[in-house]
Amino acid sequence: MPFGHESRFMNLQLTQGRLLTLLQLSSPALPIGAYSYSEGIETLATQGTIATGSDLFHWLSQELNSGSIRLEAAILRWSYLAASQPDFEALARWNQWLSALRETAEMRSQSWQMGRSLLRLFADLEPELTEQLPGFARQGDCNFAIAYSLVAQAWQIPLEEAAIAFLHSWAANLISAAVRAVPLGQTEGQRLLQQLTAPIQTAHAEIAAMTEADLMACNWGVALASMQHEALYSRLFRS
Amino acid sequence: MNSAVAPLPTPGRAWHGQATLTFERRGERTVPQAQTQAPLKVQRPFYPEGPSLCQSVLLHTAGGMVGGDRLSYDLHLKANAHALVTTAAAAKIYRDHPQPAQVNGTVRVEPGAWLEWLPQEAIVFEGAQYHQNWRVDLAAQAHWLGWDVLRLGRTARGERFCQGEVRSRFEVWHDGQLIWLDPQRLVGSKTLWQSPHGLNGCPVIGTLVWVGAVPTDEVITAVRAIWEQQPNPQGEAGVTALQRGLLCRYRGASTSAARRWFIQVWQLLRPHYSDTAATIPRVWQR
Repeated sequence: MPFGHESRFMNLQLTQGRLLTLLQLSSPALPIGAYSYSEGIETLATQGTIATGSDLFHWLSQELNSGSIRLEAAILRWSYLAASQPDFEALARWNQWLSALRETAEMRSQSWQMGRSLLRLFADLEPELTEQLPGFARQGDCNFAIAYSLVAQAWQIPLEEAAIAFLHSWAANLISAAVRAVPLGQTEGQRLLQQLTAPIQTAHAEIAAMTEADLMACNWGVALASMQHEALYSRLFRS
Repeated sequence: MNSAVAPLPTPGRAWHGQATLTFERRGERTVPQAQTQAPLKVQRPFYPEGPSLCQSVLLHTAGGMVGGDRLSYDLHLKANAHALVTTAAAAKIYRDHPQPAQVNGTVRVEPGAWLEWLPQEAIVFEGAQYHQNWRVDLAAQAHWLGWDVLRLGRTARGERFCQGEVRSRFEVWHDGQLIWLDPQRLVGSKTLWQSPHGLNGCPVIGTLVWVGAVPTDEVITAVRAIWEQQPNPQGEAGVTALQRGLLCRYRGASTSAARRWFIQVWQLLRPHYSDTAATIPRVWQR
């Protein structure tokens, strides 16, 4: 475990108030632009690689099982713990790691843009709490997973719930992108999200047990799809 | 999972090859200094492009790696030195026992210097365990261009990478900032092999990275165009910008397709950090 004062924050209870705040933070309706990104799914839909609901289910479960969303979610946890200390140096380091881990220029811009938008929104909602955030968080290259952890920690949302909601929100956004890009029916999309409940819980438990030495993933499919997206002739999505 | 595999050989059997190469600029010339330990050797340097660029070829005299074997590379480019380091032949990683074969590399490149690390491909037999770990530290005015091509399973013998494991980590720093972190873990399975999320049925994956400067859009477009202009492109490719560099990925069936594209990309990028044109090392012309 990279941090020593964890137990203090494990005692946070998910009160009704915090649950409602978490629902707001992880809602697809949060105005941070998540709907405009597909993380390569638009390319795969164009190529016919993702043509059905089961193709999409396979893709998202593989990502949860071995893909780079695991790295993001792991760093989100460590960043939350660093924010609780608070340890700004560790936060800046995790942010630099995430920028260096992003597969492509598009996915790096996506992460920075969503991070920036979330922190801007948070500053409007919570001007006083915002003053306690680290300086780099105001410089525009704060990755989304870091921004999310900062906001979740500032709002005293318990880590476990914040982290699993992050995965769920990620899956919901990509399903929504696929519903438009493939296209798939709305009901089909909701069915897939429901089917992902088990893979999300499994991934969440595995990620919670990860140390720095476990920070590895297989990103070949996502990297190629995202790189090719940058060169797609006609694009609905920004990644 | 590995219960059918033979037990570990006696510890004394495993190799630990080492190569410490230091390149120093003396006047017009880049002078290498090499210390090696078997089974690694370094051939005498070549200067096909003039005295400033030293081409060094590393030779693995044991022919391949088995589980438990280790290779350590330590490459140090002093200020204004220029070097291209390659290998004499493809590396083979045999299926042997559950211990991984390990390659560890550290690279330091001082101001005004650049290093091209262009090894021939590694062939990882199905069932083999292969770990490689590279850390590259570049000064502010320094460049590194490296590539890594892996063939997973000997497809000519009907192998698929449904068993075995590859861990490959590259960490590249430029002027104290982490620019590229690529910690791959490929656990052999039918799903990894077949899935479009993993290998998509392709035995060959290749990566080319250049770190040292922010690439222009024109360079990115040109690198993509080289791929599209390949006479018979086999497999798929992607190109993107890093924060201070450029990244290419290849996934397909052919090491020569990856190599052909990468060589042309390397030749296109060379003028961005050097005033000499890239000359193909003789050892590649089999």
